[in-house]
Amino acid sequence: MSLPLTDRPASGVRPSRRLLRGLVLPVLLLAAWELSSHLRLVDPRFLPPLEAIARTAWHEVWTGDLFLHLGASLARNLTGFAIGSVIGVAFGLLLGLSPVANRIAGPSFHAAKQIAVLAWIPIISVWFGFAETAKVVFVAVAAFVPVALNTMEGVSSAPAQLVEVAHLLRFSRWQQVRRIYLPAALPSILTGIHLGLIYAWLATVAAEYFMTVGPGIGGLIIAGRERFQMDLVMLGVVILGGVGFLLNHIATLIETRLLRWRA
Amino acid sequence: MTAIDLPRPAPARALPFRLLAPAAAGLRDFAIALALPALILLLWSLGSAYQMVPQQILPPPAYVFENFRDMLASGELLQHAGISAVRVAGGFALGASLGLLLGIAMGLSEAIDDYVRPLFTAIAQVPTLGWIPLLMLFLGIGEALKIVIIAKAALVPMVLNTSAGIRGVPASYMEVAEVFGFSRWQKLRRLILPAAVPPIFTGIRYSLTKAWTALVAVELLASAEGLGYLLVWGRQMFWLDTMIVAMVIIGVVGFAMDKILALGEARLQSWRIDA
Amino acid sequence: MAVRFRFPSWRVLAALAALACAGAAPGQAAAADPLVVRIGFASVGVDNRQFAGGSSVAIAHAEGYLEKAFKDDPDVRFEWYFFKGAGPAVNEAIANGQLDFAIQGDLPSVIGRANGLKTKILMAAGAHAPTYLAVPEGSTLSSVKELKGRKVSIFRGTNNHLAVVKVLAANDLTERDLQVLNMDAATTNSALASKDVDGAFGNWPLISLAQAGRAKIVYSTKGDNPAFERHSTVLVTEAFETAHPQVVQKIITEFVRAARWASDEKNFDAAVAIWARSGTPESVFRYDFAGTEPRYRNSPVIDPFLVEQYRVQARQAKAFALVRRDVDVSGWFDTRYTDAAVKTLGLEGYWTRFGPDGKPLGS
Repeated sequence: MSLPLTDRPASGVRPSRRLLRGLVLPVLLLAAWELSSHLRLVDPRFLPPLEAIARTAWHEVWTGDLFLHLGASLARNLTGFAIGSVIGVAFGLLLGLSPVANRIAGPSFHAAKQIAVLAWIPIISVWFGFAETAKVVFVAVAAFVPVALNTMEGVSSAPAQLVEVAHLLRFSRWQQVRRIYLPAALPSILTGIHLGLIYAWLATVAAEYFMTVGPGIGGLIIAGRERFQMDLVMLGVVILGGVGFLLNHIATLIETRLLRWRA
Repeated sequence: MTAIDLPRPAPARALPFRLLAPAAAGLRDFAIALALPALILLLWSLGSAYQMVPQQILPPPAYVFENFRDMLASGELLQHAGISAVRVAGGFALGASLGLLLGIAMGLSEAIDDYVRPLFTAIAQVPTLGWIPLLMLFLGIGEALKIVIIAKAALVPMVLNTSAGIRGVPASYMEVAEVFGFSRWQKLRRLILPAAVPPIFTGIRYSLTKAWTALVAVELLASAEGLGYLLVWGRQMFWLDTMIVAMVIIGVVGFAMDKILALGEARLQSWRIDA
Repeated sequence: MAVRFRFPSWRVLAALAALACAGAAPGQAAAADPLVVRIGFASVGVDNRQFAGGSSVAIAHAEGYLEKAFKDDPDVRFEWYFFKGAGPAVNEAIANGQLDFAIQGDLPSVIGRANGLKTKILMAAGAHAPTYLAVPEGSTLSSVKELKGRKVSIFRGTNNHLAVVKVLAANDLTERDLQVLNMDAATTNSALASKDVDGAFGNWPLISLAQAGRAKIVYSTKGDNPAFERHSTVLVTEAFETAHPQVVQKIITEFVRAARWASDEKNFDAAVAIWARSGTPESVFRYDFAGTEPRYRNSPVIDPFLVEQYRVQARQAKAFALVRRDVDVSGWFDTRYTDAAVKTLGLEGYWTRFGPDGKPLGS
């Protein structure tokens, strides 16, 4: 949905100049930040100088805590994502391939997906308790929705001619799925998985905020807020964005690689 | 969002039947669609009646319904929903209109796009949820926090879709405009904006969805009222029935908003094709 | 062309499934012969320190009473859990079968029972506790009455909550007259410090904040109506109690031993030092216990007074619409284990037992 963050139309301006232009605002902003922090225009408790954040980052890296938090977050992110997308693809295929299943479960699914994903947190906590399970389940639910949705759409977009050819060639059901539907749905499934990865990351952070405390980037941010350590909060937010960016980037790479292979 | 319905061959029946057929098919689809929820409801009722699921895991449906009725009757539910609606309306209006302006500016001017986009991307990259604790320290936990968070959530898709929509206006249009000697303003008003309306509308739809999700997030973290708070409250008091009611309402409102905008979008598309 | 393409998904799916299993597996691996007793506290130390404070059971945990007592019984292991989400989170954990024992306050216990959690109350652990009202530093608020229309933090569903509702009622207020924000202890602290709320009800963290000069305490239930007191008890799930009565007895005996130690005036300094491992300064516990005898607060016995208090709390929780259904406290209390422990340790008569009216029994 909000995928094309990094894409932008081609432009006549030289890339180096565009890069320079792009740096103007961030640099100005950071300079204003640094100045107001040092000149005490703003309470440094609210806006710690950049070097303080760097120091915090350095400290967190070397005490090992940062990697512990990051590792914990990524582990539950990827586990939940894997579970959610496997089930999502399976569910999407079922509904995409079987008109009966689609008519029975489709409307319920489309209705249930409208529940803002965060609203699942309380009931999942009650159902799955305080251990890692609840968090992973929540991440899986978040990843499941876009994957299932896109798989469904992808399968139903299989070209009608191909389906007819398959009928003429007397493909078995299994062959049809494997040779026609899946390849046709692949781009859409990959888009779904890509979105699933982004949603899973959001869900990981949400799980760490709202479920029980434990190691994780979300936990780090909450702890920072509770202790009124703005530098810790900011460090957490930067990591949050950085990891999201990297995941997005990796997914894009894999997606194009796979689709290129297909073509 | 959904796949296109292929036209079904009309059944060769008597005329009145043929006229009724679509309605009947719609009714049948509707009945089939309700089968699964009905089955779930049945299993749920049986499960709790025979104590197969403990009530602390899943309260009997009757409790949920009673709770819904009571909260509706006391006006509590409407009060919470109203507060949430006002917050979303405010945040969305702010975010979407800023997003529209920024998107138009970025779409029209490459220079502005070059200057703004990297910073915008960086801000958009951090999920709304990440901004909440940070902004809490700046803005406190009052209404301002809620409005800003919702506005941020609504702004991002609006900017992306608007700028892409304006960039996507076919070059041939512009050439025609040149031929007619349109002024800059005329080009904007007569060509670019109308051509960009559909993607902008898509942007509005995503904006509203995102705004609604952000509302739940911010009400879960810091609020004394609203539908998100109802969830927190229900959880604290172990009122699973309240939690389920709140979840369903959040879903229904989200569903309704999306459906209305989808209808509007469809209407817009057909109008454009007709024109 | 698409038809020639061989879909690579099976290997991918297998890999994903394996990944999923690898992630899910560690949880299941532990279920072998040894009995793991899972004990949950409805509190957590400062900055998530895995210690509780202020009760005899907290001492039993911090000093390893159970681990020592079960040294010759390697098949029994203990896992201690501390819940930032306090009583409500403990209830969720019990509902999920993730806890066998819990140390929890009155209102959450009543809420749990109202929702059909099958537990037994075995022992008192932190009875007669006060609740405080703190306001930000520099605030002009000085009484409960002035909270009308203000933003006030209450950790809903904890045993502070019921006390607060009663205090408000005594001041002709209800929760609806305030803007109640539900916040856990840590969030409340930062909200008070940043003046995001006009007031907060709670216990030790507020004292801690006040002593650091970032808030001031303007009201305490201590010295007010004794009906505002909060109580906490040790609960066990019915399933665990039925399956392992000897283990339950041994655990309760150790808890009573800890209660005896903590009840001794001369051990008070040492007890406070142990509680301070939770990160809450010693001075906070001294403030909280000031004017009350350790023997009174740390008594483990379930006397008619405590049972009556729970009955009243349950009734009031219903009256204030904190629970939706009537809660029957009869059959909930099981005094056999504490009584046996008191006898085994030769402590008969050490703790005063109080009647339903709050007067000492047999006097």
